[in-house]
Amino acid sequence: MITQTDSGPTTLPTLLLSGITKLYSGVAALTDVSLEVARGEVHALLGENGAGKSTLMNVASGIAQPDMGLIAIEGSQVSTLTPTLAAQFGIAVVHQHPAVMPDMTVEENLLVALPPSVFEGGNIYGVATALLADVGLTVHLKDRVESLSVAQKHLLEIAKAFALKPKLLVLDEPTAPLGQASVDLLFARVRSAVLEGTSVVYITHRLAEVRELADRVTVLRDGRVRGTEIVSEITDGELLAMIVGRQLESTFPPKHEGDGAQNLSIEGFSGPGFTDITLQGRRGEIIGIAGVVGNGQSELLRALAGLEQFTGTVTVNGMRLTTKSMVRDVAYMPADRHREGLMMSLTVRENAAVSALSRFSRGLFLSRKQENQTVGDTLDSLAVKARSMDADVSSLSGGNQQKVVMARALLSEPTLLIADEPTQGVDVGARAEIYRILREVSASGIPVIVASSDAKELEGLCDTVIVMSRGHVVDTLVGGAISEERMIHAAVSSTTQSVTAISDTRAASQRALDGDADRRSAVRRFIQGDYAPSALLVAVVLGLGAFVLTQNDRYLNDFNIFSMLMLVSALGFIALGQTIALLIGGIDLSVGPLAGFLVVVGSFFINDDKPFGVVVIGLVVMFVIAMLAGLINGTLIRIGKFTAIAATLTMYIALQGLSFILRDAPDGYIARSATDIITFKVGPLPVAFIILILVTLALEFFLRKRRWGWNLRAVGSNEESARRSGVRVNATMILAYVATSGFTFLGAIMLMAQIGVGDPAQGVSYTLTSITAVVLGGTSLLGGRGTFIGTVLGAVLLVQVLNATTFLGLSQMWQYIFQGVLILAAAVLYSLARARKKRTLA
Amino acid sequence: MQDATMRDSKAVTRSRMSVPKGFVTVTVSTIALFLLSTAIAPSSVSQGALLGMLPFAAVLAIVGLGQMLVVQQGGIDLSIPGAVSLAIVVVSRVPNGDDSVLVPAIFLAVLFAIAAGLVNGLLVGRLGLNSIIATLGTNALLFGAVLGISGGSPRRTTDLLASIAGGVSAGIPNSVFFAIGTLVVVALLLKRTASGRRFEATGANPNTALVAGLRVKLQQTAAYVWAQLLFCLAGILLAGITAQPTAFQGNSYLLPAVAVVVLGGTSLLGGRGFPISTVVAALFLSQLDQFVLALGVPYAVRTLLQAAALAAGVAVYTIDWAAVRQRFSRRQPAQVA
Repeated sequence: MITQTDSGPTTLPTLLLSGITKLYSGVAALTDVSLEVARGEVHALLGENGAGKSTLMNVASGIAQPDMGLIAIEGSQVSTLTPTLAAQFGIAVVHQHPAVMPDMTVEENLLVALPPSVFEGGNIYGVATALLADVGLTVHLKDRVESLSVAQKHLLEIAKAFALKPKLLVLDEPTAPLGQASVDLLFARVRSAVLEGTSVVYITHRLAEVRELADRVTVLRDGRVRGTEIVSEITDGELLAMIVGRQLESTFPPKHEGDGAQNLSIEGFSGPGFTDITLQGRRGEIIGIAGVVGNGQSELLRALAGLEQFTGTVTVNGMRLTTKSMVRDVAYMPADRHREGLMMSLTVRENAAVSALSRFSRGLFLSRKQENQTVGDTLDSLAVKARSMDADVSSLSGGNQQKVVMARALLSEPTLLIADEPTQGVDVGARAEIYRILREVSASGIPVIVASSDAKELEGLCDTVIVMSRGHVVDTLVGGAISEERMIHAAVSSTTQSVTAISDTRAASQRALDGDADRRSAVRRFIQGDYAPSALLVAVVLGLGAFVLTQNDRYLNDFNIFSMLMLVSALGFIALGQTIALLIGGIDLSVGPLAGFLVVVGSFFINDDKPFGVVVIGLVVMFVIAMLAGLINGTLIRIGKFTAIAATLTMYIALQGLSFILRDAPDGYIARSATDIITFKVGPLPVAFIILILVTLALEFFLRKRRWGWNLRAVGSNEESARRSGVRVNATMILAYVATSGFTFLGAIMLMAQIGVGDPAQGVSYTLTSITAVVLGGTSLLGGRGTFIGTVLGAVLLVQVLNATTFLGLSQMWQYIFQGVLILAAAVLYSLARARKKRTLA
Repeated sequence: MQDATMRDSKAVTRSRMSVPKGFVTVTVSTIALFLLSTAIAPSSVSQGALLGMLPFAAVLAIVGLGQMLVVQQGGIDLSIPGAVSLAIVVVSRVPNGDDSVLVPAIFLAVLFAIAAGLVNGLLVGRLGLNSIIATLGTNALLFGAVLGISGGSPRRTTDLLASIAGGVSAGIPNSVFFAIGTLVVVALLLKRTASGRRFEATGANPNTALVAGLRVKLQQTAAYVWAQLLFCLAGILLAGITAQPTAFQGNSYLLPAVAVVVLGGTSLLGGRGFPISTVVAALFLSQLDQFVLALGVPYAVRTLLQAAALAAGVAVYTIDWAAVRQRFSRRQPAQVA
């Protein structure tokens, strides 16, 4: 509907959405929404949870496609907006959950997410430092993002958005985790960007921020525009009236009448994300916890369920609860049914009964009759609709799934029932029933606490409501005072600082007190860095070498060094490949049999009597087979959705079979000339080993300094964040498995010279040995972090240990014992180092 | 197995016993394989062939059941070779042909198994190590023990063990009775006791288990201990079945054990276990060996067939997941709205 006019680009709106309707499975999330964002304005977007703000911005940034309506950017209409296209148009979004890769450094996070053009005309260090200073983020560029606080991660995300110099910047509740100083700086930065012509869409729940920053404000309610106003021309009261007043179809049971005895008391309750919560409840009352999502409500409920650490006291019916009794006696209904609420692969009955199984035990065995009777009665009383009790719980509707969670909670005979967003994703009919059940539970004397982001729901359901903002109670409403307006007013007008922000400031000042903080943090960075295991391995290798030398002076003779390094070369190349698979969070069990198979294939071509051309063809065939094997592994895993273990195990068995098909016994002697080339040496050093070192250094360089390496570690660190940062996840992962096979090919060449014959039984053991080498080198099996240098050092240590046992005259038994001790010691040591880091963070 | 329906015309009814998809697939495949064997290679179903095959199928079934328990908790146990080999060495080398020392030797083997299981379980369950690394390390240590005890040279098993584990009763190899007994015990404990149900629930979703107040770390540790006990039993049987066991006999059971678990329909991501299907899958793989052997095709072909069976088995399972995911993705937007 927009036609290009001659009035020049300055008057055209940066973004124009008109008549946007977006349906999710037939339910409208947005209905006929129009929004115009002028050049150089800050446009605030207000609305309750679920009003459609985030959906609208997903439409504007190409993440969601509207079912109806038009999108125009600077006057030109865009038929289909994709995230890539949106980025090209200069639309940058700061999401509520930062898309950062925890295992990578701050610098690398910037490099992987930003286009190279950002770093042109300046050294990377200078540009990156400037980007961070821009948003007031004071962390070291080499710090791992994992060690950053939530607020710091958020600032990093904001820095990434500003770095793009976007035409349109979407900020989705950016200040929620930030301290006041950071907020001031952010606002100043937004204002200066606006002066340069950037348009800003600012999503928030806070009227104060709207007043401070925005030119215009659009209010959404139930997926419809309630109005767009100029901020200076509208009062807070008028804005509030636009936000609230949603119609609710559900009916609520009557509220509690009369005075019951007090049966719940929470005093001075503090924990991660919430502080100093105090509230009382009486028999028959339902207590509500209101507030904008993510202001400590969920953390409070988790702590009440005994799942978080806390200080303060909780007393139920005169009994003071301990963490242990909370875990046992408090029934907790989490908000996320898929992740925490249910065992989706189990049946309705199994889910409902899981907390009450001891009640059904008759001697050693469960009484099926008793279980069916009791669970069935409870399910009936909750009016659960399912094909049968033995239907998979995943086949139920959202409302019925939630009732199964309730059934589990009730069957556990709790002393306290707490529910986080009990009606999320639940249809209207089931909502009314859930309200009724909560009422009945409360009437029976079990205190009930409900957290909900839906103020209207709390208004209808609760007898006492506390409103939380940034971890504090900002208002307590009782009886007739409970209204949607009061709750939203308290939540949006609050000016408290978040609990995490406060502890951040405290930590920062603490750090400033440390005199030699800088030197110490450099040491800390190294110990927590990727190269600490490598340094440790070098020390162990040298120490072990020195010890063996004192026992046997032939240890360092040319022949022994040569043969050790040849073994290292074969294992090293294969382990380099395995490192790639582990870096992306996968594993390749097929490397051993692949190496063996390639040698068998080579034994048909690379013989003394074959002309040079045939030898070359042989090498090409080996290489192509390796590529194919990697491609099949990667495709099975990414496209076929096999687990990495299942896919590469299948490949393992198949390759072993193929080896035996080609040769049922060792045969086909490898050409002497070929072996001579492969084992060529300079002094005691095999050339192959020198090549291995060069390849390792090159790989390490690519891993740290080039996009290829960043992408690899990004997908291993956090697949979803990598995708949102523009990494092509599937391609990266499939190519990683191909690369793994490519290095196995190099390892197979080395193996060929060592075995000297096509033997179908050889090579298999390299699978486990390569994993051992990689683990010793400090690469994490969780993906995202590791080094190639460490892997090669791991290979050196493994070979050295086996060699040392012979020089020390020890039996084969010691080879195994040393290997086992090495693996377990390394794994425990590295995992403890990581765990301590996590703890200091918390 | 189940009592008749107790509840009638209520909102939520009980269904008839539902048969898992993995069980149908693997059972039908196994029956088809035996029919095929009878038709094409009758020698592979001769009494002699069956008597030769069944003991090894029984051992594989027991090892597979152990691996299944670990897989149910989302882990994998790579210490099977060491565990099985150690049990063999302890019960053959320690008595050294003397029947009277057999019982103490078995007792010793069980102690080793419990120790190894606790090491694995604590490393994975308590310290949170990756199961691959932990069991890889334990496997090396177990082999250290194997070589320390045996010096790498095998010993004849005692006559008593050979007659118990390798004997035949009522025309059926004794090892089969051991396998069936193990299956009954595992299935009953897993499906009919409170602990077993908690164990499966923990594997299906440890997050939910934590919320529901279950002791997640304990269940995870227990999986490795039970698994080692089963590997130990398998090793003891193997020592009796093979007259001259080697110190590295366990090596050949690692991959087939994972394969039978996967073929039986247990997800490598953890969750519900299928003991009967796992045992049937062990029978299937063992008979596949016999069948191919009887056909006279090389060892290689049977390995390829195993790979194909495994790929098909996993594909059946992943396709199932895709459907589940699709159902989720259809429902999820409704929650947003």
